[in-house]
Amino acid sequence: MSREHWVVIGNGPAGNAAAVTLRKFVTDARITLIGEENIPEYRCNLLPDFIAGALREEDLFCTPIQRFREMDIKLRLGQKVTDVAFERGELKLAHNEVVRFTGMIIACGSTPSIPERLGMFRDLMLPLKTLGDAKRWIEKLARVDSVFVAGGDLTSLCFTRALLALRKRVMFMLCPDSFWPIPLSSEVRRSCSARLEERGVEVLDCAKIENLTRLSEDSVEVKTDAGSLVVGAVGAFFGLVPNVRFLARTGLDLERGILVDEYLRTCVENVYAAGDCAQVYHPGIRAYWVSIGCPNATEQGRIAAMNLMGGSLSLDVPQENIFEVDGIKVNTSWWMEL
Amino acid sequence: MKNRSAHVEQGEKGAVYSTDPADFYYMGVNVPCQKACPAYTNVPAYIRSLYDGDPSRSYEINRIVNVMPAVLGRICSRPCEAMCRHGEPELGKPVNICHIKRSAADYREPGHIYLEQLFAPLGKRVCIVGAGPAGLAAAHDLSTVGVEVTLLEAFDKPGGMLRYGIPEFRLPRNILDAEIGGILRLGVALKTGVRVGRDVSVESLLADYDAVLVTAGCYVSRKLEVSGENLDSVFSGLEFVVDVHSGKLPVVGKSVLVIGAGFTAFDCARLALRLGADDVSICIRGTEEDLRVTADEILEAKRESIAIKGLTVSKRILGENGKVAGVEFLRTRLGERLPSGRRAVAPIEGSEFVLPADSVIVAVGQGAEAIPSPGEKGPRGVLKADPRTFRASVSGLYLAGDYMTGPSTVIESIAAGRRAAEQIVADLTGKRFRQWVVRMEKAQITDRPREWDFIPRQEIPTVLPAESRLKQMDIEVETGFSREEAHEEAKRCYLCYLHYEIDIDACIYCRYCIDVAPRDCIKLVKEIVTNEDGAITGYVQTTNWGEVNAVVIDNSRCIRCGACVRVCPVDCISVSKVQLVQRGLQSWR
Amino acid sequence: MPGVDVTVEVCGMAGDGTIAAGGMINDAMSHGGFSVLGFDSYPAEIRGFGRCVTRSRVGDREIRALDEATHVLISLNDEESKSRVPVLTRDCVVLFDSNPPVLVEEDRSLVAILDPETRLFPMPFGDLAAAAAGTQRGRNLVALGGFAAVCGADPELFREAIRAKFKAKSQSVLQANLKSFDAGYAYALEKFHDRLLTMFASADLPKGPEKVMLSGNMAIGKAALDAGLKLYFGYPITPATPIMEYLARELPKRGGAVVQMEDEISSIGAVLGASYAGKRAMTATSGPGFALMTELITHGVMAEIPAVILNAQRGGPSTGLPTKTEQSDLHAAVFGGPGDSYRIVIAPTNVTECYYYTVKSFQLAEKYQTPVIVLTDFYLDNRVENVPMPEAREEDVRDGNIYPNVSAGEPYKRYLRTESGISPRSIPGQAGLQFTATGLEHTERGKPDYSARNHMEMSAKRFRKIQGALADLPEPEEYAPDGPLSVGVIGWGSTFGSALEAVLAARERGLRVGALKITSLYPYHEAAIRKFTSRCEEVLIPELNYSGQLISLIGRLCRKEAIPLNLATGEPFPPSLIRKKIEELAEAGAQ
Repeated sequence: MSREHWVVIGNGPAGNAAAVTLRKFVTDARITLIGEENIPEYRCNLLPDFIAGALREEDLFCTPIQRFREMDIKLRLGQKVTDVAFERGELKLAHNEVVRFTGMIIACGSTPSIPERLGMFRDLMLPLKTLGDAKRWIEKLARVDSVFVAGGDLTSLCFTRALLALRKRVMFMLCPDSFWPIPLSSEVRRSCSARLEERGVEVLDCAKIENLTRLSEDSVEVKTDAGSLVVGAVGAFFGLVPNVRFLARTGLDLERGILVDEYLRTCVENVYAAGDCAQVYHPGIRAYWVSIGCPNATEQGRIAAMNLMGGSLSLDVPQENIFEVDGIKVNTSWWMEL
Repeated sequence: MKNRSAHVEQGEKGAVYSTDPADFYYMGVNVPCQKACPAYTNVPAYIRSLYDGDPSRSYEINRIVNVMPAVLGRICSRPCEAMCRHGEPELGKPVNICHIKRSAADYREPGHIYLEQLFAPLGKRVCIVGAGPAGLAAAHDLSTVGVEVTLLEAFDKPGGMLRYGIPEFRLPRNILDAEIGGILRLGVALKTGVRVGRDVSVESLLADYDAVLVTAGCYVSRKLEVSGENLDSVFSGLEFVVDVHSGKLPVVGKSVLVIGAGFTAFDCARLALRLGADDVSICIRGTEEDLRVTADEILEAKRESIAIKGLTVSKRILGENGKVAGVEFLRTRLGERLPSGRRAVAPIEGSEFVLPADSVIVAVGQGAEAIPSPGEKGPRGVLKADPRTFRASVSGLYLAGDYMTGPSTVIESIAAGRRAAEQIVADLTGKRFRQWVVRMEKAQITDRPREWDFIPRQEIPTVLPAESRLKQMDIEVETGFSREEAHEEAKRCYLCYLHYEIDIDACIYCRYCIDVAPRDCIKLVKEIVTNEDGAITGYVQTTNWGEVNAVVIDNSRCIRCGACVRVCPVDCISVSKVQLVQRGLQSWR
Repeated sequence: MPGVDVTVEVCGMAGDGTIAAGGMINDAMSHGGFSVLGFDSYPAEIRGFGRCVTRSRVGDREIRALDEATHVLISLNDEESKSRVPVLTRDCVVLFDSNPPVLVEEDRSLVAILDPETRLFPMPFGDLAAAAAGTQRGRNLVALGGFAAVCGADPELFREAIRAKFKAKSQSVLQANLKSFDAGYAYALEKFHDRLLTMFASADLPKGPEKVMLSGNMAIGKAALDAGLKLYFGYPITPATPIMEYLARELPKRGGAVVQMEDEISSIGAVLGASYAGKRAMTATSGPGFALMTELITHGVMAEIPAVILNAQRGGPSTGLPTKTEQSDLHAAVFGGPGDSYRIVIAPTNVTECYYYTVKSFQLAEKYQTPVIVLTDFYLDNRVENVPMPEAREEDVRDGNIYPNVSAGEPYKRYLRTESGISPRSIPGQAGLQFTATGLEHTERGKPDYSARNHMEMSAKRFRKIQGALADLPEPEEYAPDGPLSVGVIGWGSTFGSALEAVLAARERGLRVGALKITSLYPYHEAAIRKFTSRCEEVLIPELNYSGQLISLIGRLCRKEAIPLNLATGEPFPPSLIRKKIEELAEAGAQ
């Protein structure tokens, strides 16, 4: 088998950019793009607008599937990679299929994080990452008037905007975890609160959820360190965790995400990671961080692809503007959007 | 063909006992849980007894090789579960072997007493230094074969690490006391508060006893070797834990950084929360993946809101007015995987950052204390011994447990203590009292319905929400299975001690068994590969019908479902029960 | 287009329970009031490891043929199912086993070659079955449960079908199957809760008489029983064997007998013997067996003995394609006898007609004293349709014999040359009506006579008799608007359903097209056929054979040369192929 087979895991912006870049430069390699959801790529950053009713479902989708047929990129949707044997160049799919590859770009994205201490309340909170989540919110919001948002990340802020547009009452708790790797300093907290309150959000003076109790199908009692309140729904925005559990004990270096260098190389030859599953040391903040946002993901997908094909593009690391908005160091660029 | 009869002996009720190396090899491959256990606990047998509604018997099966089942049923490192066949990728998750053991202990008949297999007094006296798991196990075994044992303990109470190293929220002390009592009742003379090397010399012990076994454990904490380590509120991990369990409660403040990656670091972090801290982080050089603690431990720590900060290495501890203010760290980069399995990490230049803290607990490992004694020593002045014979270079002096090997697990220490005891008795008397054999007997096909293979693994219930367990030091976090849950979990064990075999002379090659096989456990083979002992080590499979020389059950893949036996039209598949057991030798050799 | 028209396939290896699963889909959906047409294909080998596929087309309108596009594939064996991928619609629903016991290489994987738009529903069939019922054997039922949940079919219909199927088995077998079904249903409902489909919700179900699932073969067997069959002689052959199996079970209860003969020659011989003796008898066979019967059929023609012969066509020639369908015995049936051995050949086009034509064939054979060949094919025999239970009317089963009315003393002329060619027939044993029956050319009294005049007259009489049967044979049926047609499609046998579907679809697209069904293949209704062809710009004759056997039979009745559309694929005729051809012809004609 002399023909290259490059597998891209993840049907998000990074994965798609990677696959398309690979095909742009190499015509004779096999390219497979594997996505876990059984639907074509969509823009998850637009989900709040979808919830707000500003967009229709079909507006969310990106590249038509026909394009992949034309580009001879094998698109495998609704299929999940469960294990990878890098030394043998084999990956295993959830339905017990083995696929061999000669190179790989992992762009498997991230999932909403629920802190372990709140794990037992998982069913009482709704995250927002997938189209399915958005549909659940739409269903929920048709019935409830108030939402408790535990968060601080980009999604929670955009989502809050959608809630306000729908004339919902929003109670907001700033969670330290959402700001990783930046600690939630009192300065950030103050600035954040002010901006939210300007828009009519009730920012609660509390730091942690102690208990959640379902009172009825559409009301939940939230007990925080500062008292109890009853709301229609609870939104979980504790930040995102890279979706890398399937790579545990495969030999790939993982911490929070997949550890890569500035060339997006993992510790395994011919294996790259891109987008918000890749974790890279950032000399500017002296910390490992995970990039977020569609433009970053697309750019990283492109870089990973170029480097897999023998290039040596380096990640343009010091994107200080991502961290410095209005003099506040935050891990998100979305502040500007709010 | 070697002479197999030399290794085989008829036993009672049609059972056969074998010491054939091929059979031992077979047991290792086919009953992987028992092989993985340092003490060779007969896991399928005890799980089955619990299922049969006899927790007392289940406890006893454990107790034969493991002197403290109730303790280990809580805090064992569970090497067996990592090897459990039920945990193979397409088969689900391993059986919760450890917590079934706990349930056996929890649900014993009230007043249950384990009847020991005792031998007549030998007229020999052995002194054991250190009443931890290794010392207690050795004391037990020596006592049962008729040795008079004196057990010296430096602390006020016996138990060693079990009492002073393992937090009460993981191991209630009444459980520990009961099982230690079950050992001491054999006539062990326990003397506490005796520190060998200070209160009594090794030389004098050697003079007073026929043999001396040092199982003094590892109580010397390693240091970070960075500046600021001598500030107030910098604790060494092991001392911190020992202090807590000796009744001295350290003051830790609100924010605590624990530096270290082992069980001790986790215990320190969780204890700190119970001492009033509310912001506790464990700082490790590598990543969570490299941690040696169990996944349960990590989960419970996180449930208690403990953060794990990976890829950090401490540079110095910062102080203000002699008190800890924080720690300056460097980020690290992962390097090569070392032959030891650990990861090399290298600090990243210029990556300094500071985490504030009220106190710092340094739990970066511990070693054995250099006790003054005759005999050959290692570089740090600690006695050395032959890992197989446990003998130090001085006649009559033996080492075992962590003291000999460095920090290990409780079950390893118990196994080592027992083996050392066996060696000491052999050296003193020239006799062996117990022997490992493979016991084989006819058996019925499994009565487990196949449905049971799909019962999900039950995790041990814990006190939730986590806040409620932090109110007192001694609230046991794991609440144990109910009887029903334990029974349900016991159903999950495949009972790998059952052995199915096709009699190839009777087989008509109809392949019905292959049609009903739940996985690739029945193979068409051209050739069977064996090692020099005659043990089967592999198969050469073929898809070419003309080359098939046998249809075989690969017992390493077999999940003992019995489907093949039921479908076989010519009854050519036999069922037997094979167990690795330790039997008392009635006739001495 | 609103309404329901869903094609569901189950594909697996022999032994996976594929055919059973497909059968239960048919039963359940039929029970739910849907129109159903199902067809299975299975390996030719008697015990083997071949592929089994069942296709069920389920809809709320009358269904006359299978459609070739599949909307739902239930894969019980992925490697076998790979062969089905070309017929799947792009957004096909695929249910497959997500936890096969061994790892599958990419080049053997079904999922690897599916279109990205495919809606995948992975389910651990084997595990769920084993977990629910202790054995993996119920994995086909787990899959059905998944199908019901995913596609939005009423699970109670399936439970009912399962109960009906296993009612004869022990309670534990029934329960195991129900548990497996429920396990699959519950799993899919929960696992795929956010993408469940409602493929059957928009159904506008017709009200009508209660329907039953009936295969062509079952309909033929039942017809024979209802017609008063007394004796069945046969030798097993695919695809006719199920008729014999059915009759072997049912006929003895009615005082009849089924005899398995040593071959087809003796079978037809015995049928002729029984008929000669005045009892209703039949045999059923397929091409290779039919060939063996040739000589004795002509004996029946010459000696004017009734006989009913069912020829269930399969792929030929010779052993051919035993489990594939074809319409290539038409010439053998019509012209296959040496000598001027005209006989009646009729060919039903659907399951209901299988019943009525078989009933009718006994009367025809008796009245016209000749072998009647009922021509079916694998696709017709093995398909199941849900139809109102057919019941023969009293006049259809009535004795068809015309008995002699002779006064005493007058010698009985068994082969009396009448105007109609029908000579009143006596049954052996009737006093005073003895006769000689012979395969030699004979006189009216049955005495051998090879004279030129006699042979000429007797040949004419036999020919006249068969032509006269047209009056009793079903007329061609037109399915066409009045006036000129741009294309007329003539179909026969199992292909007619496909042709009619195609014509109706083309009409929906605004084309002036029509269809003509011919069921009487010999003799045939020349005038009626001409009447149809005369108003067709083009005549299209689709057939499942390579050479165009119907076109060479009736092509001369068209205004201009008829256009053949021949398929020899062994598969049912896809309606869309005919529709495309119609559109092509209509377009060419319009220009």
